[in-house]
Amino acid sequence: MQNRRNSLFLLAAALLGGALCGAAEPSYHLLGQSAPDFALRATSGSNFRLSEHRGEVLLVAFWGSRCGQCGTQLAALSRMVDTYRSAGLAAFAVNVDDNQVAAAEFAMAHPVTFPVLLDPAKAIARQYRIDNLPMLLLVDRAGVIRYVHRSYRSGSDAQYLDQIKVLLDE
Amino acid sequence: MKRSFQFAFTLLALLAMSGFAWSAEAEAPAAPETAEAAAAAAPAPAAAPDTRALDEEIQSIKKDVVDLNRDLFVLEEELLFPANTQVAVFLSMDVGEFFALDTVELRVDDKQVAKYLYTPREAEALLKGGVQRLYLGNLRVGNHELVALFTGKGPNGQDYSRGAQLKFEKSVGAKYLELKIADRQRKRQPEFEIKDWE
Repeated sequence: MQNRRNSLFLLAAALLGGALCGAAEPSYHLLGQSAPDFALRATSGSNFRLSEHRGEVLLVAFWGSRCGQCGTQLAALSRMVDTYRSAGLAAFAVNVDDNQVAAAEFAMAHPVTFPVLLDPAKAIARQYRIDNLPMLLLVDRAGVIRYVHRSYRSGSDAQYLDQIKVLLDE
Repeated sequence: MKRSFQFAFTLLALLAMSGFAWSAEAEAPAAPETAEAAAAAAPAPAAAPDTRALDEEIQSIKKDVVDLNRDLFVLEEELLFPANTQVAVFLSMDVGEFFALDTVELRVDDKQVAKYLYTPREAEALLKGGVQRLYLGNLRVGNHELVALFTGKGPNGQDYSRGAQLKFEKSVGAKYLELKIADRQRKRQPEFEIKDWE
């Protein structure tokens, strides 16, 4: 009886461990690799190419107008970019909505101080294998993707700042 | 009195001599120390040429790597795009008063082979005389058609879209084509031309 109880306990522990492992954030295939280059049109009308910003620390935020946390994240990123722009921090918000008008309206309604790029064909989102929104990539001065965040929570700002500072100091 | 004076003089002389000898002894090791310091310092000038030689070696290796990389690049291009099938399309801009380039789409035999979105910096580089290799590919020997679609801002800042077309014959050698964007001052319009470099 005691043995059976022990084995049941072990089985439950193993299942719980497996579930916790499964819940952990999956690895990102481009982490540690060069960020694929792209050129996209911005809501302001001009075009932006990622490789032209080599030498700067880049925040590439993928977002959609129907994503609840995206607006809050973009506002937080705007504040960070305003603070650290002179140190070499830049950001792009890549919108993946089908409806470009909705995306432009959303961008207008939120205080975003960096270019909002449009990817209606989702070619860039596919290239970067975006599997969640919001999704934020931190690219170092050499153009390598160093950190990835698949969500935005209350404590995310502090984490972003720590990582941004590490990249800016390199 | 005289004897005591002589004794005192002799004592002083002895003391002076012993003092001199002492100071000579005290200073004596200084020579070997200086010699040691000189010996220690001697390798320093010898180390500088070593560092220089190492630096020269590193520079030489770097140059070899660059040369090797260039050779490999040429070899790769020759393998991927052999001269008998190679087609390259270049783009150049002249003046640009009546046209601000935004995108170029290239179609060869009704198949899109390239589409390029220009940033302000790239457009500026073209206006300064830069020539961009827009497309490099392979085509069979025979007749082909190239269509280039240009979009951007035309005269008075309005959206502007134009196309240019060229029917060309691909022979055994490599084919080079150039898309030229120029201003036609008389009509105050941009002009799009495809030039065959034979």
